[in-house]
Amino acid sequence: MVIEVEHLVKHYGPIKAVDDISFQVRQGEVFGMLGPNGAGKTTTVEIIEGLRTADSGRVTVLGMDVAKVPAAIKQKIGVQLQSPSLMPSLTVDELLDVFAGFYKHSLPISEVAELLSLNESRKVLVKNLSGGQLQRLSVAMALVNDPEIAFLDEPTTGLDPQVRREMWSVIERMRRQGKTVFLTTHYMEEAERLCNRVAIIDHGKIIAMDTPQKLIKKYFREKAIQFELEPPPSEAVLRTFPGVTNVAIDENDVVIYSDDITTTMSATLKFAEKEGLTGKLKDLHVRQATLEDVFLKLTGRKIRD
Amino acid sequence: MKSFRKLVIANFKQFFRDKTAVFFTFAFPLIFIGIFGLVFSGDESVNYQIGLVNNDDSAIGEGIAQALNQIPIFELSEGELNEKLTALEDGELRAVVVIPANIEATIAAGGTAAITVYHDPSQTTSAQIILPVLREAINEINRQLAQQPVLLTLAEESILSQNLRYIDFIVPGILAMSIMMTGFFGVVPLVEWREKKVLKRLGVTPLRRSTVVFSQVAFRLVLTVLQATILIGVAYLVFDVQIIGNWFLLFVLLLLGTLAFISIGYLASSRVKTVEGAMPIINLITFPMMFLSGIFFPVEIMPDFIRPVVEALPLTYLGDALRQVMVEATPLHPLGVDVAVLAGWLVVCMVLAIRFFRWE
Repeated sequence: MVIEVEHLVKHYGPIKAVDDISFQVRQGEVFGMLGPNGAGKTTTVEIIEGLRTADSGRVTVLGMDVAKVPAAIKQKIGVQLQSPSLMPSLTVDELLDVFAGFYKHSLPISEVAELLSLNESRKVLVKNLSGGQLQRLSVAMALVNDPEIAFLDEPTTGLDPQVRREMWSVIERMRRQGKTVFLTTHYMEEAERLCNRVAIIDHGKIIAMDTPQKLIKKYFREKAIQFELEPPPSEAVLRTFPGVTNVAIDENDVVIYSDDITTTMSATLKFAEKEGLTGKLKDLHVRQATLEDVFLKLTGRKIRD
Repeated sequence: MKSFRKLVIANFKQFFRDKTAVFFTFAFPLIFIGIFGLVFSGDESVNYQIGLVNNDDSAIGEGIAQALNQIPIFELSEGELNEKLTALEDGELRAVVVIPANIEATIAAGGTAAITVYHDPSQTTSAQIILPVLREAINEINRQLAQQPVLLTLAEESILSQNLRYIDFIVPGILAMSIMMTGFFGVVPLVEWREKKVLKRLGVTPLRRSTVVFSQVAFRLVLTVLQATILIGVAYLVFDVQIIGNWFLLFVLLLLGTLAFISIGYLASSRVKTVEGAMPIINLITFPMMFLSGIFFPVEIMPDFIRPVVEALPLTYLGDALRQVMVEATPLHPLGVDVAVLAGWLVVCMVLAIRFFRWE
């Protein structure tokens, strides 16, 4: 265990931001923490990183107590924060060099730049970087001390799909190297693909924690029929179809969960034919339930709300 | 130590890549000196326009008029009372002197002839310069009329090793102003880092907060010394301002002044959330201080009611101390007092800043 959190509690005035949370992160895994904004994940992560102190509970990182030896822990962890605008008039190389200077042990700048595909922008001033380059720089800064545990806070938010995939391969490479990664993300697809385990947190409590596959299996034996229709059909009507376990409508996106996909699909098609909507059902397909579905079911919210 | 050194170097790189900051730090004080140097260079004699109304047609009246005419700082113009009073009200004259009629007869009858001076008391120079000079002139004329022998004279000996020109006065003042600005703005990067969450990012590294602050302070101290070197160099080369004081003391004052203003800046901005919020606070403190602390004009010409404020401002003491050390100007306070007051400001503000400064 590289991170152990026991009965963590943190209040902000009358608000209980973290309400008795316990979990463990194992050596070498990518651990994902998911939750809507304000669920308590940022506070939890910041306590583990030593940025905040807990009201009660105990957190150990690499066997050391966060409350007692934060400096020793900070030598061995790397933290990426969302879009910090750091020393804009330094070049990428200079900034990484300043940060490398904070640690007893650090990687050569060239190696870190290579890892994050920043080779071509090493001599560029930070203020002239694109959004994607800035994001990669912020991850590079987290890896400059070759950390035992890397905390990445929504590392792919705002990146185009190409760069996002590059970032994923960086994280996968870290996992192969046996590094532990603590990831918070808004992208379920990302969590499903990268994380060995995820914890879903809401209202300051962990409401589910397991591998993405097990979570999906546990909460969804059913599959989903998904299509777009404008205007969307009435939810009540869809619920009368055979086999339907749940219906979710978000604007024109319709998802029908079913434990008998064949009969539900035929009922759906009949309904469309009867209403003269056959040509209007866009992007009709059947899919497996995803982590996004689990999240929606557990929190009642889409993750980006 | 490694992170301290790297942070200081990073501060310098960032600073010298910011052309605006470089301009305001190095060129701005020089422009100030240039303006004051040009405005007050050359003929530095001051002339006051004085109106004269001579109602006496005797030799005595003529003699008084001639005596007044010989005063080098007065430029006399004779005329009618009404005309001269209007000119005084319009600000064209600084004072109007009226010589009464029939002086000879008045004196012969054993009376006293009154010479009247009209002046505008809101003009501080008239009260502080013109009136004493007139009084002295009238006394002299009195003595001659009464044919009293001179028993006592005042022999003036300047204790200054050189005649202090206005430019000699202004250079230490501008230096004090630059030190104040450089020190005061020392807090701005930290406020910016707080606002942009850079401090938070630094907080997850092993870097100590004290290292962050010390690296900023060290950067400012070096900056002040650079600034002072350039300023003193230009003042010497262009305006021939001789630095006659003790260089070591000057160096100590630079450091002490910078530290004092850095800590005042940290205290003033200890709770502001943004750079935009810090700027008005900085301006609100530095601008009045600049004009009230006698760095541009001698404190003596300021009205009495403002003197307690002047006596409280740290810049007054820094300006006074620099003036004493650089050009050996007449002290307002002994150097020890200046240093003690600056050190007091430094310690008090530092303690309060440590107490109130918000890291996030």
